[in-house]
Amino acid sequence: MTTLRLATAVLGLFLVSVALTPLAASAQDARLEAARKEGKVVWYTSLALTSSEKVAKLFEQAYPGIKVEVHRTGSQRILQRVMQELQANIKIVDVIHTSDAGHYVLLKDKKLLLKYAPAGIERFPAAFKDKDGYHFGLRATVNVIAYNTKSVPAAEAPRTWKDLLDPKWKGKLVTAHPGYSGVIATHVLALVNLYGWDYFKQLAQNRPMLVQSAVDPSGVVASGERPVAANGGDYTFYQVKKKGNPVEIVFPKEGVPLVVSPTAIAAFAPHPNAAKVFTDFIFGKAIQQVLADSEGLYTGHPDVTYPADQPKLSDLNILRVDPEELEKRNEEIKTRFVEFFGA
Amino acid sequence: MAVEAGARRHPSWLEGLDRSAPVWALAAAALLLLILLPLGWLAYMSVSGERGFTFGHYARVFTDPRLQAALGNTLVLAFWSGIAAVAVGAPMAWLTARTDLPGARGIKSLVMASFVTPPFLGAFAWVMLAGPNAGYLNRLYRSLTGAEDPIVNIFTMTGLIFVVTLYTFPYVYIMIANTLGLIASDLEEAAAILGANRLYVALTVTLPMVLPAILGGFILAVLQALALFGSPAILALPAGFHTITTQVWSLFQYPPKVEMAAAFSVPLLLSTALLLLAQKKLLGRRGYASVGGKGAQRRIIALGPWRYPALLACLAVLGAAVFLPYGILAKAAFSRAWAQPLTWDNFTLGNWSFTFLYSSTQSAIVNTLELGVLTACVGAGLAALLAYVTTRQLVVGHQVLAFLTLAPVVIPGIVLAVALFIAYTRPPFLLYGTLWILFIAYLTKEMPVGYSQSDATFRGIHPELEEAGRILGAGRLRVLREITAPLAKSGIIATWCFVFIGVIRELSASIILFTPNTKVMSVVIFDLKEEGQFGAIAVLGLFMLVMTFGVVVLMQSLLGRDVMGGRASGAPG
Amino acid sequence: MPGVTITGLHKSYGDVGAVVGLDLRVEPGELVALLGPSGCGKTTTLRLVAGFLKPEAGEIRVGDRCLSSPAVVIPPERRRMAMIFQSYALWPHMTVEQNVAYGLRLRKASKADRERRVRDILQAVRLPGYGSRYPGELSGGQQQRVAVARALVVEPEILLLDEPLSNLDASLREEMRFEIRRLHEQFHITTLYVTHDQSEAMVISDRVAVLQHGRVAQIGRAEELFERPRTRFVAEFIGRTNLIDAVADGPSTVACGTVRLRVAATDLVPGAPVALSIRPHQIALRPGRAGGAATADNVLGGEVVRASFLGDSVDYQIRVAGSGTVLRVAGPTPPRARAGDAVSLLIPAAACLPLPDSVTP
Repeated sequence: MTTLRLATAVLGLFLVSVALTPLAASAQDARLEAARKEGKVVWYTSLALTSSEKVAKLFEQAYPGIKVEVHRTGSQRILQRVMQELQANIKIVDVIHTSDAGHYVLLKDKKLLLKYAPAGIERFPAAFKDKDGYHFGLRATVNVIAYNTKSVPAAEAPRTWKDLLDPKWKGKLVTAHPGYSGVIATHVLALVNLYGWDYFKQLAQNRPMLVQSAVDPSGVVASGERPVAANGGDYTFYQVKKKGNPVEIVFPKEGVPLVVSPTAIAAFAPHPNAAKVFTDFIFGKAIQQVLADSEGLYTGHPDVTYPADQPKLSDLNILRVDPEELEKRNEEIKTRFVEFFGA
Repeated sequence: MAVEAGARRHPSWLEGLDRSAPVWALAAAALLLLILLPLGWLAYMSVSGERGFTFGHYARVFTDPRLQAALGNTLVLAFWSGIAAVAVGAPMAWLTARTDLPGARGIKSLVMASFVTPPFLGAFAWVMLAGPNAGYLNRLYRSLTGAEDPIVNIFTMTGLIFVVTLYTFPYVYIMIANTLGLIASDLEEAAAILGANRLYVALTVTLPMVLPAILGGFILAVLQALALFGSPAILALPAGFHTITTQVWSLFQYPPKVEMAAAFSVPLLLSTALLLLAQKKLLGRRGYASVGGKGAQRRIIALGPWRYPALLACLAVLGAAVFLPYGILAKAAFSRAWAQPLTWDNFTLGNWSFTFLYSSTQSAIVNTLELGVLTACVGAGLAALLAYVTTRQLVVGHQVLAFLTLAPVVIPGIVLAVALFIAYTRPPFLLYGTLWILFIAYLTKEMPVGYSQSDATFRGIHPELEEAGRILGAGRLRVLREITAPLAKSGIIATWCFVFIGVIRELSASIILFTPNTKVMSVVIFDLKEEGQFGAIAVLGLFMLVMTFGVVVLMQSLLGRDVMGGRASGAPG
Repeated sequence: MPGVTITGLHKSYGDVGAVVGLDLRVEPGELVALLGPSGCGKTTTLRLVAGFLKPEAGEIRVGDRCLSSPAVVIPPERRRMAMIFQSYALWPHMTVEQNVAYGLRLRKASKADRERRVRDILQAVRLPGYGSRYPGELSGGQQQRVAVARALVVEPEILLLDEPLSNLDASLREEMRFEIRRLHEQFHITTLYVTHDQSEAMVISDRVAVLQHGRVAQIGRAEELFERPRTRFVAEFIGRTNLIDAVADGPSTVACGTVRLRVAATDLVPGAPVALSIRPHQIALRPGRAGGAATADNVLGGEVVRASFLGDSVDYQIRVAGSGTVLRVAGPTPPRARAGDAVSLLIPAAACLPLPDSVTP
């Protein structure tokens, strides 16, 4: 008798699960249908243009009928855009992705984000998740030093952040700007916590070339315009190096500032379903692996494997920055940087 | 003759009414709205604080050391660019207009090419040419001489002045070439007969007559330099200094300090107004030195052994403005790595596919063309209407109308953008985020150019041609349609082209007013620069130049005349 | 065919009065010339009549219609006039035929009618078959004829001409003068003709109105103006004259320094200042001192300052004995005296005209 009961229970369970599965599947289908009806997703992204475009094209291939509108600019500009548009009651953006964690503190506070957890996000490390479920880390990189191997022999290359203060590098450095880039804003705060503002005061005396985006220093160093980059996203240097440019990366032992770039859906998104489909897509293993392989990024996805020539995060001395602090001191970072560097 | 019953035979006021009056009134009203509304908001914002009226913003403008530095830098830039523009433009104008310089026509065309090149594109090209380490010229110099240091560093104030001069000297050139065209050479011949050599004649006879035009040209160049945004953003920011325009732009970063931007813009506005006033006083109401009649006989001065050195000097200037920049842009467009020589390895068409497949590019090109055509059509039409009204003095207060039409010249592009931003990001006209706000900005900015061109066109059409029509029985509007319009056609087309070209290359207003949906080509180029995408920038830049030159060639073939001469045909006989 | 009546016309530009209280009557079918130096207001008057300007005071009537007054100005297109301009004002983008037919098209004439009338008028101005040419291909004289054709073909009530011949060279001007007069005699349109050339005015017009400082100084037929000028200005403007300031010392005599003259007047007030006009050709010149009886009303002695041979006449400048006055005398060829010779001048009293309205400017 018990065997029969057991069998019935098992059968019942089986039948129920079979019955329920189409339900779960149809919920997905319904959302996809709605997404197709919406037709597009508008993505404000600070990820390098080539990388962003690649992601967009892959999504469009996977989901024909839904276009991705890529609007790439620096993290700080993205926030400016979002706030400016809101003020003028313009609602365009669906997915907001920057490299300044502080932004999301602000946006969440102002109730501008939609609570949405991409599929499979539970398996990501805590650093990549917002405990309230509004935003999640799409990618991560670290700030590094890089130099042009044609202009600088390996023996003379700078090895630490402090090395950059040496007067011999006067006129030979390039730095990106925290007023434009979230990666750099994070970097500046991390080093201020490490060495104080004096560090940047001294760095300024070496009169580095000022560029805006954290992507730009890689181009500057690759072309040889300045032999040494005083900061910049590791992934950008990795990309140009892979292309065959004479660039070498240095991971200073004092620590490399970790930049986790969050992404979120706008509360007022005009294409919410498409946005959700897109978000799921970019957190899926396929894309996360692409980010790791060809773009040189670190991700939170536990199943992603990294190229052999990328150091493991666990091997590096990571400097972390608290997003709340980043948000609170954002103005200070930008103002004092300009104070020292002039523009 | 008996006096008739006068009361019955006096015409009613209705009979005497000029039926074309409402048309002019409408045009005037449109103009007023266009100009006064944003400026009003600008003034209002500059003195509005949290608790109402305040002068606090102005106080900060004059005490904040960073803002002071920006002011100082702008003054230095504008002044020296003006001087250099005159130093380059005036002799070149004299050489092509008055001497037997070989290839004068070619030189003129090249100056025209420099005139239509967007300055920010030139600045960008010069980064690739004269960046202290990777710049082409510096690498060439180092490989030839083995030196360590570069010979030129474009990321300096001097570099910025250099680039700005390259693209403002055409204004001086045009102004002086036109004036020289009006001066009869008898005075110069008299001096020559008395034994003065060419240089002496030039210095002691020609120069004083042209002096008002030189000063006018200087002021014009200074005005251009003051308003530039792209070149300082590309050359000054990396070197760590701001100008007023870049500073205003940075005040818009989050959190935006719009009141400060407004207050900071007002001094810029006042200084341009003062400069224009000075220029008007110098040149009289016509805007050029009134010397002698039209098309007077001009003797060509023989340069003798100085012919080829002079030609070389002109070509050097034009090389710097046109050949070198276009060349390096072409190279970068086809290179994987712009700083490396263009070997077969380095050659790629990838930049082209990347640029044109980038969704922002496609929509930007469409936006630019749409805005260009719309602004040119409306602008040329409005300018023609207004120029007609003022040259024929059709309404009371036509001088005020002329003044208002030319007034936007006083407003630097970025200031206009700030004013429009303030005016149109709030009800009742919520235009921010649409192409309309850009349209208004472009229309306002290009009105003076359109108006000047149309004004010259109508002045070239004798009023008696219209009066002849009227006395034969045609009303004003009919005369306009059947007589004036056909004669003004070529001038109006020239106006259209000037406005169109002005719109395509506009950056300083667009950079404030665009949204991701309403990007234009210049903004896309600027965005790409911030990421350092040299290849894409070069491709888009070349594309922009091709578009511009296409319009120029179209204009010259349609009209068959020297566009820079500025004189319309149509006078009888 | 109506006439034009202008009463009390006033028009200023800023502070400058261009037309100051001008009165003028042009009879139906008459050609009146407005003659005067530049700045006298003749062109302004014409443009007021055409309706291009609005008067500040006064009236312009055509027939019994009041066309212009300070309150209302009927626009030019409704005044039924035609005008010929100094610059010809031919539309360069239209053919001769299109230029001439323009007014007819506005009057909605049928195609056949238009073609016929254009053909006829071109015939009348002696430009047959020029219809398909463009103004740019024509000479100055031909262009002016086209302008005339264009104005006449619409059969205007009033024809206005604004120095139409000034841009032509001298011989063409003479020829065109007669053309215009001939056409006027053919069509008899009430016409106002502005010119600064006195001989042109005298050839072309029925009456001449001499304008000075914005008003009519004198109006009349050519002979009238020439033989009986009423002001210094008119006397000097029409033909050459000698102007002498003298003082009346009898009802028909004046004294000028030590010289006494019998003049063409009978009502002079002794002691009153008199301006005299004596035409050069009315003075007879005899070589040598006059001897014996006075064979003329006035006999003056003098010395030849200069004698200029002009081909068909001789122009003498004679210093009158007993005064510093130099008189111009026009004599026939061959010259009767040379510089330095003593001569006698015989002047009939009828040639010494007192000028009644000597308006000093």
